[in-house]
Amino acid sequence: MTQTTPAPAVPAIADPVIQVRSVVVAFGGLLALKGIDLDVTRGERLAILGPNGAGKTTLFNVIAGDITPTDGTVAIKGRDCTFLPSRHRPRLGMARTYQKARSFDGLTIRENIYLALAGHRGRHWPLWRSPVDRRLDEEATEVAESVWLGDHLDTAAGELAHGQKRQLELGMAIATQPDVMLLDEPASGLSRGERERLVELLDSLAGEVTLLLIEHDMEVAFSLSQRVVVMADGAMVTAGTPEQIQSDPDVHEIYLGVEASS
Amino acid sequence: MTGLRRRATFALSLATGLALLTAGCGGDGDDTAGLPAEENVDEPADAGDDGDDGDEEAPDASTGDDSTVRLGILGQCEGPFGGFHEDVVGGTALAMVNHAGATVNSTTSALDGFSGAEVAGTPIELVGIGCGDDTPDRILQEVRRLVEQLDANVIIGPLSGDEGLAIAEYAKANPELTVLAGISGSQEQTLHVQAPNYFRFYGDGAIWNAGLGDILHNQEGWDTVAVIADDYSFGHTSAGGFIADFCAVGGDVTHRVFPPLGTTDYSSYIAQLPDPDEVDGYFWAVGGTGTQASLEAFVNAKGDLTGDQHAGNLFFNPDLAQALGTDIAGAYIGGFATLPGDVQTPAIEEYLASADDTWETLPGSLSGNEPAPPSVAAAFGFFYGYYTAGVALVEGLAAVDGDISDKDALHAAIGGLTLELPYGDISLDENRSGIVDVGLSQLAVNDDGEIVQETVAIVPGVDQTFGGTFSPDTPSPSRDFPECEERDLPWEGNAIPVVDGVPQQ
Amino acid sequence: MTARRLLTRGNIGLALLVVVLLAMPNLASAFFVNFVLTQTMMLGVAAATIVFLARYGGMVSLAQFLLVGVAGFMFGNAAVEGGARGLNLGMNPWLAVVFAIVITTAVAFVLGALASRTTGLYFLMLTLVYAVIGFFVFAQIVELSGPGGITSIQRPDLMGPPVRLYYAGLVLSVLVYLGFKALGRATFGLTLQGVRDDPIRMASLGYNVPMHRTLAFTLAGFVAGLSGVLHVWWNGQIDPASIAIGPSLILLIMAVIGGISYFEGAWLGAFVYVLAFTYLRDLPLIDQIGITEARFNTVIGAVVLLIMVLSPEGLAGIAARVWRRVNKPASAAPTAPAGGPSSAA
Ligand SMILES: Nc1ncnc2c1ncn2[C@@H]1O[C@H](COP(=O)(O)OP(=O)(O)O)[C@@H](O)[C@H]1O
Ligand SMILES: [Mg+2]
Repeated sequence: MTQTTPAPAVPAIADPVIQVRSVVVAFGGLLALKGIDLDVTRGERLAILGPNGAGKTTLFNVIAGDITPTDGTVAIKGRDCTFLPSRHRPRLGMARTYQKARSFDGLTIRENIYLALAGHRGRHWPLWRSPVDRRLDEEATEVAESVWLGDHLDTAAGELAHGQKRQLELGMAIATQPDVMLLDEPASGLSRGERERLVELLDSLAGEVTLLLIEHDMEVAFSLSQRVVVMADGAMVTAGTPEQIQSDPDVHEIYLGVEASS
Repeated sequence: MTGLRRRATFALSLATGLALLTAGCGGDGDDTAGLPAEENVDEPADAGDDGDDGDEEAPDASTGDDSTVRLGILGQCEGPFGGFHEDVVGGTALAMVNHAGATVNSTTSALDGFSGAEVAGTPIELVGIGCGDDTPDRILQEVRRLVEQLDANVIIGPLSGDEGLAIAEYAKANPELTVLAGISGSQEQTLHVQAPNYFRFYGDGAIWNAGLGDILHNQEGWDTVAVIADDYSFGHTSAGGFIADFCAVGGDVTHRVFPPLGTTDYSSYIAQLPDPDEVDGYFWAVGGTGTQASLEAFVNAKGDLTGDQHAGNLFFNPDLAQALGTDIAGAYIGGFATLPGDVQTPAIEEYLASADDTWETLPGSLSGNEPAPPSVAAAFGFFYGYYTAGVALVEGLAAVDGDISDKDALHAAIGGLTLELPYGDISLDENRSGIVDVGLSQLAVNDDGEIVQETVAIVPGVDQTFGGTFSPDTPSPSRDFPECEERDLPWEGNAIPVVDGVPQQ
Repeated sequence: MTARRLLTRGNIGLALLVVVLLAMPNLASAFFVNFVLTQTMMLGVAAATIVFLARYGGMVSLAQFLLVGVAGFMFGNAAVEGGARGLNLGMNPWLAVVFAIVITTAVAFVLGALASRTTGLYFLMLTLVYAVIGFFVFAQIVELSGPGGITSIQRPDLMGPPVRLYYAGLVLSVLVYLGFKALGRATFGLTLQGVRDDPIRMASLGYNVPMHRTLAFTLAGFVAGLSGVLHVWWNGQIDPASIAIGPSLILLIMAVIGGISYFEGAWLGAFVYVLAFTYLRDLPLIDQIGITEARFNTVIGAVVLLIMVLSPEGLAGIAARVWRRVNKPASAAPTAPAGGPSSAA
């Protein structure tokens, strides 16, 4: 199919944060992932491209523990996490956003971010408020400001506009200062100005933060990533630097072509 | 924040509404300047239960309550016995008509009450009719409404066994109240609770089978019997009476099977019974729709039912022949409050005629709640039980010359009554439960080839202890109590035979 | 938390209401206080646990009255001595309260854990099954109750006078109301609402979703147990029919009448139900239009239907809507309604 096979494109790396090995996911008869291998090093910025239905979100779900793969293994920071439920991911320093925003619509923006913070810190059960909560609220306020939601702290998430919801998604992910972030189409539905701010924000993340990004917007994807993986039909098609991928005719055909027509 | 405010405002409106309501409610009925609800704050909690006497005293004082008997009747307008609402209210109303000079307010329904009842100058006013649904919780709510809201000082009722226990406890906690049980058949309401102001002028559920054991063991030669009864208090109590009687005279109960109330498929319970060649007979105390269903399940599993091998409590009736055939002729049946219709004495005829004179029709349960001659309802135990309670109230009042201010005197007077009633005299034992005559009957084929119920014996003077099987120290009848023990029964051998409706004595 | 923040209209309204309710024994008849209002308080607390689970946790439970009953049965078993049925442990009544609450909470924990992976209609059905099984457990296990139930249950001497039971119910109601409201802003309340809105997201944020549901159910069971102890004190007896499916449904109906997403609605629904139950039949000529006691359930059903049609949010929802409409043009007129209660009193 192509001269750049996925396996050699993954360099033998010293400090793997995520190791995906032969992961298969089947939904009934449908093979959403057909044996994926992927290694991500600490601090790497990886973009995953591919047409709708390629299996990108499913791959994220496997890494984040939202679904257990039918076959294969997932290791995070050297630890086998194939069957580890998603709720143990934050302790490993991982945070994710969802393609379709999953915010707590009945709660305010502050409370949404508070939950991200409290979840990470293991503060799950207190029955009454304490000074700790006030500090978390202050942190949540700062986070909200950093994703330009400072003016809407007390707005219910259910009342937010689409773009604001995406900002909140991002805020909930960065709130815990994770060192592995999975962002599923963070720029979709954002205006041009918002996209620029998004890139700026992600660029400003500390260097050791590992970033996995699913993104349709080429500009965003290429400007943020060091390496690009292209998926189609549940398999990895090619990988390389943004420049290599941009000039790869196959990619144009299977991905950009499809994208242009859709 | 908007939500908060919204709720705030809501709380306000609730406050307003409540305040208005209170003003309204406080205004009607008794004017309670004496802060009745606070009355008890400093009093020690004697009985520790609701509605201490202080509670009623405040309204008592203001309404001059002691000059009037304010009667509340506890019936059931819902639940399994909901159909008997007319019957039970009718029973008490007829007692007032016959013995206290009352007239009924409607000639086609007892529920409209009566007026003009008076005994020795003391009027009896019907303040309300409670509507139970066969659960103790509901009847407690109803009695509290009658007593605490409508100021009733005398209650007649309730109807069923568990209700009776709850009301007896309520009576015990409210010693100023006088309660005359309706037709409630649990033992404990008198035997265990022993409330000095709670009277029952008829028997409990056990005593209606007294004398059956004597006949079946000594006359029909049954030595062993299997018992099947509903798994709730009336089933346990009714079966317990039979077991106490049958075992006392020397018989043996080999099996006890208790299907839950409301069972529709009895086959698994029938399977627990022995086969017909393994026991001398079966005793049935399965009521409601279960009577027919359980007997049919028996026929399916074990072959035909024959009257010489089966006996039952009051639920066993001639209607069963429609499904089971005339083979059940010969089966013995326990009694229930009144004597079967084939016994006619002048007193009974007079009583039934008085019912027909009082109303044109009554929509009682036996006529499917369609208008029917009132004597149809009056001849049945539910009506009659409430009638006896009403008569007891009237005679008790007469005994104290209409003065109900001294409750102890009133209660002593009621406790000492011997009522001469159409279906036999009734007096009370030391726990204020009736000592009554029990009429036993048998299914028989009449000249038209139909199954009818014929009275065969009257067992006189039956009390609820069964010669000591039941006492204040024994548990309530249950799946395994009473045990099967031989002992002396006061009425063994005393049954008065009845031939063609005529007692032979 | 400044004085100014405490001075919201809600708090003022609540304080006024509590004052009126505290004064109630001086204003109303004994029956109204000891029967209508005491029941309202007890049932309101029980219904509030339904609201708590529904509003914060998105779980509509039919098992709350079962837990009310478990506490009642356990108190009866523990406190009664020499009764006809039950364990007859003859404990000190206050120890019996602790016993009853501990058992009820433990039962709630187990039932909650079993239901913690179901949501929506399945949760409703499962709790319905709990209610049905609970009835049979107490009806069949004669060591605990049997069909006749536990009778002659006395309340502690301290609670002897009925009016104290009313005050106890009132205090418990206020505590439960404020507690549940405050919980909505505390961590556990927020996490629960998170679980309600998006359990998957909550899991990925590190929360143990089934455990949150379990503990919410446990907490609701604890509170229902408190209501149950009051209830059995008030009633003096408890039997399986007390916790049959009928009363369980009625409790849910109260919450629905009041407005299942408003805590106020729990008490309002209970109040309306008890009022209707007690006074509807006294309305003149009411039986002429066919509303007799025997048709009471039909009437309640019709009332529920009517309220649902008018406002799916129940009476509290109607009240809130009316208030917003009235309040919009003249938003600064809190004195007018505030004067209502005092002048009426
Ligand atoms: N929960 C699911 N159940 C069934 N099929 C699913 C599910 N999630 C995803 N799929 C299917 O798996 C394939 C890959 O989906 P997805 O990973 O969401 O693709 P992408 O994110 O690349 O657009 C699609 O065909 C999609 O329909
Ligand atoms: Mg996707």
